[in-house]
Amino acid sequence: MRFRTNQWPRFVRLAIGLAVGVFAFNHQILAYDFATTVRPILSDACYHCHGPDADARAADLRFDQRDAAMASGVLSSGELLARLTSDDPELRMPPPNANRPLRPSDRQILTDWASDDAPWPEDDRHWAFVPPKRPGVPDVSRTDWPINPIDRFVLDRLEREQLEPSPAADKATLLRRFSFDLTGLAPSEDDLQRFLLDESPDAYERAVDRLLQSPRYGEHMAVGWLEAARFADTDGYQNDRLRYMWVWRDWVIHSLNQNLPFDQFVTQQLAGDLILDRNFMTQVATGFQRNHRINSEAGSIPEEWLVEYVADRVETTGTMFLGLTINCARCHDHKYDPITQAEFYKLFAFFNGIDEAGLGPNDGNSPPFVAVPQNWPSLSDEEMAFVVPDPMEIRIVQGNVPRPQAGSPETVMVMHELPKPRTTYLLRRGQYDQPDHSQEQTAAIPEAIGNWDEAWPRNRLGLANWLTDARHPLTSRVTVNRFWQHFFGTGLVKTSENFGIQGDLPSHPELLDWLATEFIRQGWDMKAMHRLIVTSATYRQRSIATAAAFETDPENRFLSRGPRKRLSPFAIRDSVLQASGLLEPILGGPSVKPYMPPGIWSSISNSKYKRDDGASLYRRSLYTYWRRTLPPPTMMAFNAAARETCIVRSDQTTTPLQALTLMNNVTFVEAARQLAAKAIALHDTPREQITRAFVFAIKRFPSEGEVALLCEDFETYCAEFAADPAAAEKLLSIGESCCDDSIPKAQLAALTLVCNTIFNLDESITLN
Amino acid sequence: MDPLKRFLAESNRRSFLAGTLGLGSAALGTLLNADCLAAEIASDQPNPADAITTAAPPAKRVIYLFQSGGPSQMDLFDYKPGLAKRFGQEVPTSVYPAERKTTMTSGQTSFPVAPSRFKFKQHGESGAWISETLPHLANVVDEICLVKSMFTEAINHDPAATLFQTGSVIAGRPSLGAWVDYGLGSENENLPSFVAMTSNGTAKTGQPLYDRLWGSGFLPGRYQGVKFRGQGDPILDLYDPAGVSRQQRRRMLDSLAELNGQRSDQFNDPAIVTRIAQYELAYRMQMSVPELIDLSDESAKTLAMYGDDATKVGTYAYNCLLARRLAERGVRFIQLYHRGWDAHNNTPKQVRAQCNDTDQATAALLRDLKQRGMLEDTLVIWGGEFGRTIYCQGKLTDSIYGRDHHPGCFTYWLAGGGIKRGYSYGATDDYSVNVTENPVHVHDLQATILSQLGLDHERLTYRYQGRYFRLTDVAGNVVRDIQA
Repeated sequence: MRFRTNQWPRFVRLAIGLAVGVFAFNHQILAYDFATTVRPILSDACYHCHGPDADARAADLRFDQRDAAMASGVLSSGELLARLTSDDPELRMPPPNANRPLRPSDRQILTDWASDDAPWPEDDRHWAFVPPKRPGVPDVSRTDWPINPIDRFVLDRLEREQLEPSPAADKATLLRRFSFDLTGLAPSEDDLQRFLLDESPDAYERAVDRLLQSPRYGEHMAVGWLEAARFADTDGYQNDRLRYMWVWRDWVIHSLNQNLPFDQFVTQQLAGDLILDRNFMTQVATGFQRNHRINSEAGSIPEEWLVEYVADRVETTGTMFLGLTINCARCHDHKYDPITQAEFYKLFAFFNGIDEAGLGPNDGNSPPFVAVPQNWPSLSDEEMAFVVPDPMEIRIVQGNVPRPQAGSPETVMVMHELPKPRTTYLLRRGQYDQPDHSQEQTAAIPEAIGNWDEAWPRNRLGLANWLTDARHPLTSRVTVNRFWQHFFGTGLVKTSENFGIQGDLPSHPELLDWLATEFIRQGWDMKAMHRLIVTSATYRQRSIATAAAFETDPENRFLSRGPRKRLSPFAIRDSVLQASGLLEPILGGPSVKPYMPPGIWSSISNSKYKRDDGASLYRRSLYTYWRRTLPPPTMMAFNAAARETCIVRSDQTTTPLQALTLMNNVTFVEAARQLAAKAIALHDTPREQITRAFVFAIKRFPSEGEVALLCEDFETYCAEFAADPAAAEKLLSIGESCCDDSIPKAQLAALTLVCNTIFNLDESITLN
Repeated sequence: MDPLKRFLAESNRRSFLAGTLGLGSAALGTLLNADCLAAEIASDQPNPADAITTAAPPAKRVIYLFQSGGPSQMDLFDYKPGLAKRFGQEVPTSVYPAERKTTMTSGQTSFPVAPSRFKFKQHGESGAWISETLPHLANVVDEICLVKSMFTEAINHDPAATLFQTGSVIAGRPSLGAWVDYGLGSENENLPSFVAMTSNGTAKTGQPLYDRLWGSGFLPGRYQGVKFRGQGDPILDLYDPAGVSRQQRRRMLDSLAELNGQRSDQFNDPAIVTRIAQYELAYRMQMSVPELIDLSDESAKTLAMYGDDATKVGTYAYNCLLARRLAERGVRFIQLYHRGWDAHNNTPKQVRAQCNDTDQATAALLRDLKQRGMLEDTLVIWGGEFGRTIYCQGKLTDSIYGRDHHPGCFTYWLAGGGIKRGYSYGATDDYSVNVTENPVHVHDLQATILSQLGLDHERLTYRYQGRYFRLTDVAGNVVRDIQA
């Protein structure tokens, strides 16, 4: 059941006229602000049939456009009110069979709004499509707390909510917090010592600055980008053939460490082959939009998959830079946001001119690709030159299967334009074989988002110009919001992947806009923004919450306490390797193959996992070989993105598989043994050894009670292992690394179990 | 001087300042309450309980025997006696248009009819035609409902299997079992409620499988299928490290709960409580899985029924037997994958080998469930990602033919769980190329599976990227005609 036009007259008598007092109007705006309160409900409950998608629109009625909604008369005639309040299932909206039931509280809001003649402000543009204006920093009554402008925005909100900020966390907790947040690793004992001893007023800032200069910073900050850019070591379909993209991954790490300004970071990745001062490095950067999956399954129809690759690029661009679900407009007009299906294909046209194949090769890079000099990343001037990739060459194999040439492990995939781009048509229902030849599309941006400067070329470079234009409404907001998410666990806009009408509203809109404009003002300086956030008083707050505070604000959206979050899967594994001393700090290079369970690949595919030896077992997790159809189970157990599509936010569910991993996985057991051996080498008594291991792992001094409990465990285990030397031997033989042979086996095994307990503490995998 | 500082000063001649820790104690009894596992579904999400249509659905659980690679419908179920006389003749283009052929055969100059070389006979009271390659299934044919009119759009393995298992050819969506887990939750706290198992045939080759087929997609990670493995630990990292006793693990977990409990008191973060509970669940899983896979309580008669492979870990027969044991223990969704049906070259040989590897165990599973009274409320599903072409791939001889992928029609069968017994639904044309009667799309099958479990496929939604996603995307009709 939908609105039917022939029923309008029945409600005309309910019309209450347009003459609503302006004061009442204003009063209602305060209670039911249209953009923040009413429209999200309309969008969620009504747009599906009464929104932007012309094909799905019922009764020719739309609530996504003010003029159209006003002109329909529904708002003023009383029909809307009647439809909301009627008990007649034939009339009541949304209809009973709708999959979007309207919550009673939301219905009440709409009812109140409709009763008040549905005030609808003239400028009703969705907030995210209006370029951010730099807001003034608010005055706050409490002046001793704020450190930088962030804090005044946060405090302003807290004061309005009558909440107090929390006191700063202690130094050791803070150092651990920002070390993990900036480098993905715990502070070393030296760092901890230096920091705790440093009583100078800028000790905190200097410690932050030192970490910002660490090469570990680029590694850690790269992870989120790699997940969003769906970086992997295989092509992702069926046999999941090998590809070689680690050079691009290293480019990301390098650029982050060099603090390449974000506008250039983006421009080089989207159009490093088209910029004036292009060179080999900027060319490598374009591997960004080659990281999508490529189908090499024999029998695939190339035209079908070409469309998928280009659509993937549009989706990734939409999510990463615009924070919009552009891909929803592939098959029809967007259901919620003002993006038409034609506009999807206009964006599609930006990426549809690559000299690429629909079907991938059997193992190896798919053209276009370029050879990587042997001494990468230190390149001679000559090697720094831009390289024109060989054109794609298709050979017919296995009867009729058209395969391109394959790039060797010494190549990397890049973007390169065909002499003449492919013609783009709107594809009906998004199907490759349903082009609408009457609708040829050329590269253009969606009308609702920002402005196009005619000086920009109509290609990927122009697209990058548009995205990094200071007037763009979204790029900077979306990016600083992901920064915020990185440090606080939740973005100011919680739905960091969706700034559209169905996305969440920002918890602190002025702060978001201030940060967005500040980012641009600072020349898109990523490290400066990270520093600003990390050095704020907001970030430094204690994360402990009273039960009452947890009740009022379980997600800490008001920011009345510091961030408390689980470590990323990468940091979880890296931190135990680090605590145990096993971590191999080699930067970059081809992906490595650490321990995996037996038959990890061969049990469900036609290839075998060949484990590496030695140092490769202990590299940072971002270097672990990422096979897309069988991603590393330890990472996946802790909710890593699968790298099949662009993901910018992960969930943090807790499962028994996580417990099994931390307790029993070879890496974690081996690390426990090494941590035990390290503690034994430094101290004589079990009490000191346990305390030391605890400090190594958690960077906190354990309480008397904690030590006593663990000591008691140690004594028990020790007696048991002394009585069963074979058991000790078995436990100690797990993992490839060796320990000092002179340590009594029972002692080492017992302390290994205690260290295993420590690694399993919630605190070990949590940032307080 | 605080303790951290003193400690490090003494041991390293360095001085440190302290972290703080308040002590508290946690009442473990309440911490371990199952409520700790309370849904982590955010408030802006639809309530999956709204999708439940009945408290007494016909099916309580599902065993899905996925036959990976694309079984050949005309060699197994879709009997076309009239084709014998057309051996070697071209399949008319009016029947098989050129566009949707894979590039493995689209370049062939000839598309000759390759009639099945297997003999078919009618079986059971229902009189269903079954190929000679499935003698065991033929004996239980009155239990099953054949759907001969399945069709899909996908012609390659990866997208086709992904569509069957997640409702979309695009990666990133939750799998069928994850949706069911999300909708209905668990019946057994000691085992995962969604289990996936894989096996290879004697041919040892086959199309690869992908973690996404049993993944949770955009649903929270706890809904992903837990893979039971044929090598090493039955569940990844299930067993304690070598040398560690159960008693030691218990002690370790007690200490862990005590220490985590203290932090929970301090931080008031329910995530800690949940974590403690998950460790207990892991511990219980460590006990219940060995009991699950210990087949010593199975009678010789039962083992014989499943065949010689029944006790060989990682075989199809073993997985079928395990499926029954999982079903007995209340596991909601049991997903098997058997590889090797992608018979491009010597199709007759490969089909026979696949049948030899699976037929006995499949039939045994149905009998076994039936004799235990479980078939009634267990929905068993058999089928792959697409069918195969009637035209010959490669050279056609008297005894050998090959068959390429065919999305236009193929056969599934369902049994138990409120589905009609001894029934056949849908029909195909004389060539087994197109559906002529009662077409059933992948989404229709998915809608039907959910319906048997008492879930409305249009209401089982999850909000992601601002959109309400469902397993059946924007399609799917429950096939009422096959419901008992």
